[in-house]
Amino acid sequence: MAVISGDSSTDLAPAPGLRDLFFGMLQVALSAFGGGLSAWSQRIVVEQRRWMTNEQFLTGLTVARLFPGPNQINMAVYIGAQFRGLPGALVALAGMLLVPFTLLMLLGVGYFWLHELPAVDRVLAGVVAAAAGMALSMGFKILHQYWRDPVALLLAAGVFVAMVVFKVRLIPVVLITGPLAMAWYWPRRSTG
Amino acid sequence: MVLSLLAAACSAPTRLTDLGNLLRVLWEFLSLSLFSLGGGNTLLAEYHHLAVNQFCWLTDAQFADLYALAEAAPGPSSMLVGLLGLGAAWKEGVGWGLLSGYGAEAAILLPSTLLMVVACLSWRRLEHSPWRIAFERGMGPITLGILFAVGLKIVRTADTTRAGDLSVPGVIVSLIVCVLMLRTRISPLWFMAVAGVLGGLGMINR
Repeated sequence: MAVISGDSSTDLAPAPGLRDLFFGMLQVALSAFGGGLSAWSQRIVVEQRRWMTNEQFLTGLTVARLFPGPNQINMAVYIGAQFRGLPGALVALAGMLLVPFTLLMLLGVGYFWLHELPAVDRVLAGVVAAAAGMALSMGFKILHQYWRDPVALLLAAGVFVAMVVFKVRLIPVVLITGPLAMAWYWPRRSTG
Repeated sequence: MVLSLLAAACSAPTRLTDLGNLLRVLWEFLSLSLFSLGGGNTLLAEYHHLAVNQFCWLTDAQFADLYALAEAAPGPSSMLVGLLGLGAAWKEGVGWGLLSGYGAEAAILLPSTLLMVVACLSWRRLEHSPWRIAFERGMGPITLGILFAVGLKIVRTADTTRAGDLSVPGVIVSLIVCVLMLRTRISPLWFMAVAGVLGGLGMINR
């Protein structure tokens, strides 16, 4: 749904330069320390800095979800590439990741220093069990979308069995089932 | 014979100081990048295979710890790759560890970033292409299957004691958190905090 809106585009700020992209994404990353990265990038990029319209932003979310890579990181790439091509994408990526990634690496250094302490290990045993529960919920979270599509459930079950029972690695699984699934779901004229 | 070879391989971690090894590891991450469907979590089982079974950088428990750390820290949880890189070179010193961590993260992000840039620039043509529609619909069920396999793998890795037995309290906590994640909107940080306290009290062993 490409909305051609002469009105709203005149409200937009001039296209950001590389420096603006870096600091804009840095602001998004810092604002989102408590979570809600997607909501914050919308607030800052669309409402506050007025770099793009809401429609453009939502298109970006669609593209970011569709293509491989972490969604939030793809979104930063989309925003950067929209204005400054590849350099813009890299700068936006750096702005988004620099602070949280450096923080995580420092946590990691702390972990490797301390993880053999019995007290630390006991706490981690609990934290890890909770984190595993989060991982387990990922599949259930999107299961309802496929509940009425037996072929989708069959495909998912096949992938699951291949990986869990036959220990097939991810890349061959995707390379074999991907084309089959795409052939089955190829848009037919009757379905529009 | 093959099994004994694998076991022997895993007693010696793959060192990144050897240029050949470094290139091999980089290649693994670069090629995985384009297979990170569904927002990146589909790669978790592969990360485990590479870091624990193939390159022997980490134990199962360490992998589970780093996964939890990446989930708890602010920012995208796919930054776990940086922690794996850190673990891979930790024995060479902190400086090399950090370098390896930044390198690993760059390797996992570079290909998908390049593809994303191409996608943005050609989106007008792609948007209504049958390829895009078939890809979007077809990858959904595959992602679903992978996520279930990944969830099971992480639960098994996290809730196993050092002796190799299933940790029953750990599994119970994982199942409760899974249900709460689906039924409530409570921040998962709370679940990790509460479970951490339970662990600190010695109620969840491993």
